[in-house]
Amino acid sequence: MAESGHGKVVKLPDRDPKPAFSKEDLVFASEEKKRIAGFVEEYEKPDGAIMKALWLAQEKFGFLHPDVIQLVADEVGIPYAQAYGVATFYTQYYKNKTGKYVLDVCTCFSCQVCGGYDILHYLEEKLEIHKGETTDDGLFTIQEVECLGACGSAPMLQVTNGPYVHHLTREKVDALVDALQNGQMPSFTSITLPQDEDEMGGNRRTDVDKTEAYRTPPVAETVE
Amino acid sequence: MPKVRIDNETYEFEGRPKLLQFCLDIGVELPHFCYHPSMSVPANCRQCLVRVGTPARDRGTGEMQVDEAGNPVIQYFPKLQTSCSLEITDGMVVETHRSSEEVAGAQKDNLEFLLINHPLDCPICDQAGHCPLQIQAYKYGPEGSRFEFDKVHKPKHIRLGPRVVLDGERCINCTRCTRYTSEVSGSHQLTIIERGVRNYPMTPPGTEFDEPYSMNVIDICPVGALTSADFRFKARIWEMSKTPSITVANAKGSNCYYWVKDNLVMKVTPRQNMDVNEYWLADEDRLDYERFNKDRPAGPMINGSAAGWDAAYGEAARLLSSVDPSEVLFIGSPFATVEDNYLLTKLADSLGSPAPQYIRHVEIGKGDDWLITDEKAPNHQGCERLGMSEIDAEIAAARIQTGEIKLVYVLEEDPVVAGVLSASDMDAVKVILHPYNVTNETLHGANVVLPAATIVETVGTFVNIDGHAQRVRPAKAIRGVNRTLVMEMGESRADRHGTPFDRWHNETNLVDCQPGWVSLPEVAERLDIEMAYKGPRQVMEEVAGTVDAFQGATYEAMGLEGVRLMEIGAAV
Repeated sequence: MAESGHGKVVKLPDRDPKPAFSKEDLVFASEEKKRIAGFVEEYEKPDGAIMKALWLAQEKFGFLHPDVIQLVADEVGIPYAQAYGVATFYTQYYKNKTGKYVLDVCTCFSCQVCGGYDILHYLEEKLEIHKGETTDDGLFTIQEVECLGACGSAPMLQVTNGPYVHHLTREKVDALVDALQNGQMPSFTSITLPQDEDEMGGNRRTDVDKTEAYRTPPVAETVE
Repeated sequence: MPKVRIDNETYEFEGRPKLLQFCLDIGVELPHFCYHPSMSVPANCRQCLVRVGTPARDRGTGEMQVDEAGNPVIQYFPKLQTSCSLEITDGMVVETHRSSEEVAGAQKDNLEFLLINHPLDCPICDQAGHCPLQIQAYKYGPEGSRFEFDKVHKPKHIRLGPRVVLDGERCINCTRCTRYTSEVSGSHQLTIIERGVRNYPMTPPGTEFDEPYSMNVIDICPVGALTSADFRFKARIWEMSKTPSITVANAKGSNCYYWVKDNLVMKVTPRQNMDVNEYWLADEDRLDYERFNKDRPAGPMINGSAAGWDAAYGEAARLLSSVDPSEVLFIGSPFATVEDNYLLTKLADSLGSPAPQYIRHVEIGKGDDWLITDEKAPNHQGCERLGMSEIDAEIAAARIQTGEIKLVYVLEEDPVVAGVLSASDMDAVKVILHPYNVTNETLHGANVVLPAATIVETVGTFVNIDGHAQRVRPAKAIRGVNRTLVMEMGESRADRHGTPFDRWHNETNLVDCQPGWVSLPEVAERLDIEMAYKGPRQVMEEVAGTVDAFQGATYEAMGLEGVRLMEIGAAV
């Protein structure tokens, strides 16, 4: 979305895109076809299976080029236009080629107050790209996203539609980038609520080793 | 019978109607955008909100609770309801914006929301004047807006397909167009892309919105987002007169309006007729109007030079009486009205000539099961029902070449293109022709040319492929005065409400032509044949009374929606 003096301008998508995959590559293996057929069976109408099938395709092809969306629509058995509408509705479906790791930095209200923009700008400077861009080595893409529903552990980011990284600080961002450069995805962590710790007699969750204790989020530098 | 109370008026209802449709049917207007009677109900525009309550019932016994005065206790829904999706139940109480300030306020606020990012440039918008959003914003909307910040801009003048142009930022995302392609036409070519303030209808990449019924989305679009590539910015809606008639690009006889400005047909839009085309029109019907405007003849001609009507009628009569009646080939026309074909039949009969035949126009494989037919002429059923037979081009051509036929009388047809006549035959045989256009290839060798009024300039009857007899009305004027045509003529707003100085009816682009029911009796008169009718109405009365296949097809009975005639076999 380009910002200009006249408000936001929504761009027209490329209506005649160049193919990104060869014809030989643009197929599902029989195993994948079987999985998609399984999705279709789960629902009353094939429409229901489109989201799972698109997800499968995104994992296989990396991003949803219109040709890929067409392929998925044909496989699921729904119109191409409908599949395209679904794919463009959700930001988690990547319509353009991305880096290996997509860093979705939350700058929605809570994170913003707690330093979301500080983290976003630090990340942009560190990787020398702007949001929406991909590093030259093809490793990282930075996206600014709206609320990911983890306000309690703000500021936070999500890695490639996968694990959340909470309680972000500059040091933590450095460590994350280093780890990702070495191919190590952060592990899943969840944040325990204060009442788990204090009022109910310690952390009673069954997955204690994957939890991190709640702590009061910081205040953004700009706010201070 | 179950009852519903709307704005303190009680109405009875049958079945399980939806509230909005019921209100529209009984004439209680409710503003709405996304609802269309032929499609599913998404309730996404939120404009048709009403306050609704139902009689309270005792939970235990299921009996209706009554207050001290004996009236049923009404429990109102906690929130306003979308009337389009709400089914009426017995005893329901409805408050519209007429009786509830809450509803009026909700409708006002909703319009304020719809207009947040809608450009307020109605003066340059093609939809202005017949735009539901404009009309309802004036009627129910706020005077200003509290959203005083820059609007989101979306792509403009995008060619969705060869015939439809999109202006993304005018769209209010009612999804009528996408539902039309998925539920009515079945082409599935449109979808809403993106989300939030960024969404608008689009074709997916690499495809075009090119289905043969694509232009219907232009009519159902409640804003100026979808416009016709062919018509946009050609005329304002209030500058045109609108005449109910039928289309003639195929034999379906889809009901339409012809929009006319300065005696030129500017566009064709569908007219609802649930027996024929419902709400829709094929693109070929909409784009089939240039022939009413272009290449029209300048006036009657005798042997290639201009002549007066009187002289031309006289010459036609002279030619007809100069040959033996058995040597005359009368060619009727599936493009002409039943009335004109009937008069031609009568003329041939009175002379003692063989009955007229007609040329059939079929393009196999062009038709579908909907509004496009293989038949490319509008009235072959009418010709059949008059007892006319299809001409065999080879036999007719042979008879002309051997000199068996010395005169060909052609009503609103082109026998050269059909292969009945060849240009070389035209020296040996005399031709009297009633053409629509100068592109008619028979015109060059014709001895007498009597230009004919097209469907938009005449009064008459057409019978569609299913045997539905329908009237056509004059949408534009011809040169010369004809009382019948003037009486039947469509009016524009300026005609009804304007001063004599801004009437649309003017002297530009008038074509010097005559309807068959004028020119044929003129020729007959000069042959001393009795053919005195007061007009096409009387002709059709006679046809309906004397020809079994047209039983009941009087002008009164046909009205605006036509009558279904009995099948040919059943009637005869």
